[in-house]
Amino acid sequence: MTSTGAAPPRGRTSDIGGVPARRAVMRWAWRMFRREWRQQLLVLALLTVALVATTVGAGLAANAGYSLAATFGTANRLVTLSGSDPSLAADIAAMKRGFGTVEVIEHQRVAVPGSANPIDLRAQDPRGVYSHPMLRLDAGRYPSGPDEVAVTAGVAAIFNLRIGDVWQQLGHRRRVVGVVENPLDLLDKFALVAPGQTGPSDQVTILIQATARMLDAAPLINGAEVEIRPSTPGASATVAVLILATIGLLFIGLVAVAGFTVMAGRRLRALGMLGAIGANDRHVRLALLANGAAVGAVAAVTGTAVGMVAWFAFAPRLEAIVEHRIDRFDLPWWAIATAMVLAVVTAIAAAWWPARSASRIPIVAALSGRPVRPRPAHRFAAMGGVLLLAGVGALALSHQTRPLLIVTGIVATTLGMLFLAPVGIAGLAAVGRRSPIGARLALRDLARYQARSGAALAAVSLAVGIAAAIVISSAASQAAAAVPSSRGTLPSSQLIVWLSPHGGLGGGVPELTAAQLQTAQTQVNAIATSLHARFTLALDGALDPTVPNVQGGPGDSTAGKPIVELGKAHHKVEGGKNVTEFTDRESIPLFVATPAVLAHYGIGSGDVDPTADILTSRTGLSINQSRTSSSGYQLIGISGRQEGGHLRVQMVKLPTFTSDPTTLITAHALHTLGLTSVPVGWLIQTPQSLAAAQIEDARRLAVAAGVSVEARPTQASLSQLRTDATAAGVLVALGVLAMTVGLIRSETARDLRTLAATGASSTTRRTLTGATAGSLALLGAFLGTAGGYLALIAWYHGKLDVLRHVPVADLAVILAGLPVAAVTAGWLLAGREPPAIARQPLE
Amino acid sequence: MTAELELRRVSKVFGSGPTEVQALRDVDLRVEAGELVAVMGPSGSGKSTLLTIAGTLEEPTSGEVAVAGREVSRLSRNDRARLRRHSVGYVFQDFNLLAGLTAVENVALPLELDGVGARAAAASGLEALERMGLSEQADRYPDELSGGERQRVAIARAVVGERRVVLADEPTGALDSVNGEAVMRLLRAACQRGVAGVVVTHDAQLASWADRVVFLRDGRVVDQTGTSPGVESLLAPGPSS
Amino acid sequence: MSVRHALLALLSEGPKYGLQLRQEFEARTGEVWPLNIGQVYTTLQRLERDGLVESDDTEMDGPQKGFRITGAGRTELHEWLRTPSDDAIPPRDELVIKVLVAMGVPGVDVPGLLQVHRHRLVELMQRYTRLKGDALDDLGVALVVDAEIFRLDALIRWLDAADARVRRLPAPGAVKVGRVAPGPRRRLAARR
Repeated sequence: MTSTGAAPPRGRTSDIGGVPARRAVMRWAWRMFRREWRQQLLVLALLTVALVATTVGAGLAANAGYSLAATFGTANRLVTLSGSDPSLAADIAAMKRGFGTVEVIEHQRVAVPGSANPIDLRAQDPRGVYSHPMLRLDAGRYPSGPDEVAVTAGVAAIFNLRIGDVWQQLGHRRRVVGVVENPLDLLDKFALVAPGQTGPSDQVTILIQATARMLDAAPLINGAEVEIRPSTPGASATVAVLILATIGLLFIGLVAVAGFTVMAGRRLRALGMLGAIGANDRHVRLALLANGAAVGAVAAVTGTAVGMVAWFAFAPRLEAIVEHRIDRFDLPWWAIATAMVLAVVTAIAAAWWPARSASRIPIVAALSGRPVRPRPAHRFAAMGGVLLLAGVGALALSHQTRPLLIVTGIVATTLGMLFLAPVGIAGLAAVGRRSPIGARLALRDLARYQARSGAALAAVSLAVGIAAAIVISSAASQAAAAVPSSRGTLPSSQLIVWLSPHGGLGGGVPELTAAQLQTAQTQVNAIATSLHARFTLALDGALDPTVPNVQGGPGDSTAGKPIVELGKAHHKVEGGKNVTEFTDRESIPLFVATPAVLAHYGIGSGDVDPTADILTSRTGLSINQSRTSSSGYQLIGISGRQEGGHLRVQMVKLPTFTSDPTTLITAHALHTLGLTSVPVGWLIQTPQSLAAAQIEDARRLAVAAGVSVEARPTQASLSQLRTDATAAGVLVALGVLAMTVGLIRSETARDLRTLAATGASSTTRRTLTGATAGSLALLGAFLGTAGGYLALIAWYHGKLDVLRHVPVADLAVILAGLPVAAVTAGWLLAGREPPAIARQPLE
Repeated sequence: MTAELELRRVSKVFGSGPTEVQALRDVDLRVEAGELVAVMGPSGSGKSTLLTIAGTLEEPTSGEVAVAGREVSRLSRNDRARLRRHSVGYVFQDFNLLAGLTAVENVALPLELDGVGARAAAASGLEALERMGLSEQADRYPDELSGGERQRVAIARAVVGERRVVLADEPTGALDSVNGEAVMRLLRAACQRGVAGVVVTHDAQLASWADRVVFLRDGRVVDQTGTSPGVESLLAPGPSS
Repeated sequence: MSVRHALLALLSEGPKYGLQLRQEFEARTGEVWPLNIGQVYTTLQRLERDGLVESDDTEMDGPQKGFRITGAGRTELHEWLRTPSDDAIPPRDELVIKVLVAMGVPGVDVPGLLQVHRHRLVELMQRYTRLKGDALDDLGVALVVDAEIFRLDALIRWLDAADARVRRLPAPGAVKVGRVAPGPRRRLAARR
């Protein structure tokens, strides 16, 4: 025997070669990736783009939302007390005893001439225990003495102030020493003074950090309103981004299956060589899986890096859009890490099938570069059928609510389509047997290289399927909306201008002076004129003067008393106390039955029962003020004096649109309940349905005036959505087609050269590419539309009539337009083979 | 002398029915350690199939194969892979080396697949390359080597470690005669060190490097030359000038 | 191979004895072409007669007699080196004739016959290859052996081609070898 220096240590060798073997195989895979990454550029680019989008999207999702820290700081309870409370100092002292550290912020309202909304003069400590995240100094310094003030840029603009100026307000002269902002809410307009320097405050907010048990133990303070900070809402948006990323990766995974199959075919001889040297099936599989992992990892790292750069560049602009400062490093790292892992997993999963096939090819066949004969399509068909049925079944069983079943259904339906694709291709090849040479060759190639054409077809089908599902379901909902029913929020020819800047009756409505009301009325008239309104109807709400003010919503420094509404009570026991909960969704707005409103709806004074409290168009509305009543509605926004009272309800002919005055409170009830009437908004009736552009104009006018508008969501937006979905679906499908057809044809460059040598003109080449793209597109469009319909039938299985309205035009575009576009594009682009593609792949 | 490679009544049929091809018919072949045997025949005579069956890449339709003293029919797929990386070396006509690996890594690959640590495998690989006169080229990639160098690296890989059988399929087919001769010289030297070698070829010049030439025709062994006599006997029946 | 010019070439290196000339000739050609001593002396006498070489001692014949090349000898040697060898005239090949004849004789297994010759030729080639394999550094031997190997290779290839042609024929009886056109035959005969 030869005298080799390092004879293999016999004892250590295992049957599969152990770690050294795996390392050697992975080293080879990595080197091959380094050498030939350009040939996998398609998959790399797709994964990278997905990761860029996910990173930026996660940043947006985490930072675009309004942060509750803008009002809570780091505290978890916000107690509001009226400034006129005589026992204010004692109450604060009591709270200090009960909760330890508390932070007091005093507020004073400063009216702004010509605006319905006042600004807030705030006495707040910049180094406040809880409130420090709510303040940031942009210029100058924080106020310290009694005669100093800092203002936000917005306030400075309104009052034309600069640092060093003297600002006279509410009889107090203060020198402006700095420009500040609430970094978490750039819309927050306020002036900042040193703690204790506001003078007589209108309202005091106290930030505390308390547990539920501490709150229970503490004595209740009369007139105090406690807001509890809900758990952070940002995560759900991030989860949505992750779900979208997963769906995107599913797509890319399908394209990647095709890409990796091509790559495995290209390396077939090398894999055969590996087997001849003594690698077993597992080693061969590992080589391709390692390549997949390398593609995934490189794309994940590149994509995340590019995404971060994009995010860092984009974040400053985003601040202006979302109206709060963004900490660029405040990214949901867990979500980004998950997306990176998902990208690697996708690539490995996509490489799995080609790896499995490659490891099963006989070594002799692999060495000679002969691909194996594809398995008969019907064997996949059975599996595909079962998966499709399972997917549709899961969607049906999910009852549109159970996420696990929905995800399972979508994945199973997709996989089912993947497995059904070869049958379609085989059928197409059978059909094309008698076609001219170019088309025949193209179809036969598709059938011969089933793995890659199947994956390509599945990706196209998925794109079309999603688009078709959107198109069909939007048509269904549009059809439902087009029915002349009294459902919906408003008729399409109406618009409501709400006095509250955040719309509706929720939150507080500012108490306006006569001058301010006049200003608002002028603005409303301007809006009405711009819309050629037939008439404008003033709407009043009722309020209880004894109820304390409430703070406005996000971005709103106004405070006012709540408008009385009808709410559905849900009783429950929490911490040993009876709690009654109301949700916005179930509340019914309540308007005052002014003579103008009654006259407008043709209700004469004789039609109204003089003892009736509530007039409504809602059937079965019962109002029970009893605290313990578990059914029916209660008046909310009034103090507890009227407990136990029963209200008389009378049915009258009023509109049934939910935002219209469906329910009125009579003057009689106002009187007995001690409520006063305040203006809340104006109903504007236009001669025709409002167009989206008109609504947008009105909205702009309203924002300028500090009020808001509400209109029915326009039907045009749904048609637009449908057109967009059709266009997007066709574009995505065309993109996927272009990539996969390019991939498939680049593999048959040798055939093309042979064809050229035998005298085929560029027409043959065009026919070849056009037929490949066209047949994939045609099959994909049919499979996708069928899949989309199946999924929707399962989704709506309880109410199939909504699917009766078939969006013929859009579906025709998908079914006929996509193949035509694909053939045309293939025909046009294949005229001249780029040298990079025509060149034989190196091996 | 023990037979490192033994084929007994080996037949191989491809396909079935009208497309049936009988590639090998009852082939017997015995190659001992230290012996280089050439299998010669025109294309289509079944010589490549003989080689793939001898190398456990394919299974015979009937008959028995023993490689390095082990009956191949009793081995599992994994055991065969193990046998290949441990005892059998291959040299093919043109495509032999994995593109992503350097010369020495290519040579060391069977050892690494067999579980030898990277460092020890590289040392063995370098030694095998030195014997082929290629220590300078150890760290080059296959596409940086000439055709002759590539085949020499392939031979180094085929004999590295404790290889007992080397199988070569037209190993000089893509080379000029001087480079081809160098390759055959190295192959013969490897066999003289105790390896059983088989070269299949249609080229008489290549076959003449072997100790014994087996003639294959239509899947059958039709004839073979005996172990060659010494040079001296050349002169006795010398051709008249 | 012209022994006459080979001896002139050896003498061009310097004066040599007859026996020495024979030994050197055989060593340089790897003993592929054996040469008997009588042939050497006959050739040397002719060369001396033509004035191409001269011997130092005319009285003494035998192995100790030394020879050296003359000026005319050098001229003749250089002339000869430049003269192209006459490849245009095909040599009469015994093997070809045997196979041709065999095809006409009934009951002869032609492929078997071809294999007998192939076997013999491959065996011969193996011997030459062994010679080449053992003599690593001797350029002369390598060249001579190569020449022989290529000659044998050509014959083996011819056998292979003949084999393929014979196999392609439908039936053995249909071979029409006897009617080879008379022209080439006459020429073959005339070339001896």
